[in-house]
Amino acid sequence: MKYTTFNQHTVDTMAEPMFFGNPVNVARYDQQKHSVFEKLIEKQISFFWRPEEVDVSKDRVDFQKLSDTEKHIFISNLKYQTLLDSVQGRSPNIAFLPIISLPELETWVETWSFFETIHSRSYTHILRNLFTDPSHVFEDIVVNDEIKRRASDISRYYDDLIFATQLWQTQGEGVHVVNGEQHVINLRELKKKLYLCMNSVNALEAIRFYVSFACTFAFAERELMEGNSKIIRLIARDENLHLTSTQHILNLWIKGKDDPEMAEIAEECKAEAEQIFVSAVEQEKQWASYLFQNGSMIGLNKDILCQYIEFIANQRMAVIGMSPKYDVSNNPLPWMNNYLHSDNVQVAPQESEISSYLVGQIDAEVSAEEFGDFDL
Amino acid sequence: MSDDSTSPFLIEVNEYPAFQHQQDKTVLEVLESHDVEVHYHCREGFCGACRTKLIEGDVRYTTDPLAFIDDDEVLPCCCVPTSNIKLQTY
Ligand code: FES
Ligand SMILES: [Fe+2]
Ligand SMILES: [Fe+2]
Repeated sequence: MKYTTFNQHTVDTMAEPMFFGNPVNVARYDQQKHSVFEKLIEKQISFFWRPEEVDVSKDRVDFQKLSDTEKHIFISNLKYQTLLDSVQGRSPNIAFLPIISLPELETWVETWSFFETIHSRSYTHILRNLFTDPSHVFEDIVVNDEIKRRASDISRYYDDLIFATQLWQTQGEGVHVVNGEQHVINLRELKKKLYLCMNSVNALEAIRFYVSFACTFAFAERELMEGNSKIIRLIARDENLHLTSTQHILNLWIKGKDDPEMAEIAEECKAEAEQIFVSAVEQEKQWASYLFQNGSMIGLNKDILCQYIEFIANQRMAVIGMSPKYDVSNNPLPWMNNYLHSDNVQVAPQESEISSYLVGQIDAEVSAEEFGDFDL
Repeated sequence: MSDDSTSPFLIEVNEYPAFQHQQDKTVLEVLESHDVEVHYHCREGFCGACRTKLIEGDVRYTTDPLAFIDDDEVLPCCCVPTSNIKLQTY
């Protein structure tokens, strides 16, 4: 079906499935088929933050004090997170928007992606503060084998869905030969690709940041790199929300509360979906090994980090109906919770480096006082 | 719901003896005050980390819960009991 940016037919979006129904026309939010996406949009917008509001200048001094191993850990994690948010800042838009049929879901995906771009911008903010020229860090992301290995797994399911959707929207259903390669395109196949892709995104949001988060917060426990930690806390809060959205999408399908065909596909692809999650966990554990290949950092080692990944993996598999795989029942890093608690992450205005932001604050105070004289 | 003459609702969790609900505290805060380990991240109902099975009773949410939970589950970080309740942590 050809994509149109404004579908001229009257469509009752309350009767549409999340994906592969009619293209959305009017961006309206007065009624929602799945109200959770509207609530997610509101929540996400209420989280709005700017990297520049966080003062990272003290981190530069701290960074010089880190051992070479610790520097390797710190910078490698930033590279990996840069990769993840580079992918997430564009892919939900490109892969999902052309096939979404609900206005609230469409806007959720756009809001979600936009916040991923804030995350990307924050890495530049952090790195610019640490290096006069951070180019070598960014340039390494596309040549570093450890990162590349992860990149291909992360982008694979997106790329597959995007390509199949393009064929479907331009050529329709059928067997199409592109560059000598045959592609079977029908709605069922597309929905399967979508299901696997959503599982891959869910695993990304659920698991892939947490080795890095744990290292960041372990530095912060030693009062090191605290500006960075403040930024990562804001990112972690967003990522938890993104994860909630993919968990809702998957469960709406699995429980037959959206497109009934997706419920069948969920059943059919159960093993493959689980495999996607499990390989994300394995890759994260390998990432921990890579980080700690030259030694550990104070407060954290490879084993405890791997246990933590398994611990959250168990919980996050259970939410989408997969049986927990790993033998960890207690949280091996209980202090992580303090950093993931959303009350602890407000950016204080006095920390702002941006004068316009401060000016905004002062203006707001002045006008509040002026209004104080009025008797209403 | 409960006036001064009624005693607080009881919160049972796993094998612990029943705890009394403490006014103005979420279920999570009550459990923490008795050193029951419940996992949490956001404490605001949007991450699902505190997801717990509700075996008996009813709760009222103090914040609109956003996280995915099943029909027989609750988010202790943002609810209070409206009857005696029985919970099972994961
Ligand atoms: S701690 Fe996040 S939902 Fe309860
Ligand atoms: Fe992100
Ligand atoms: Fe994300």
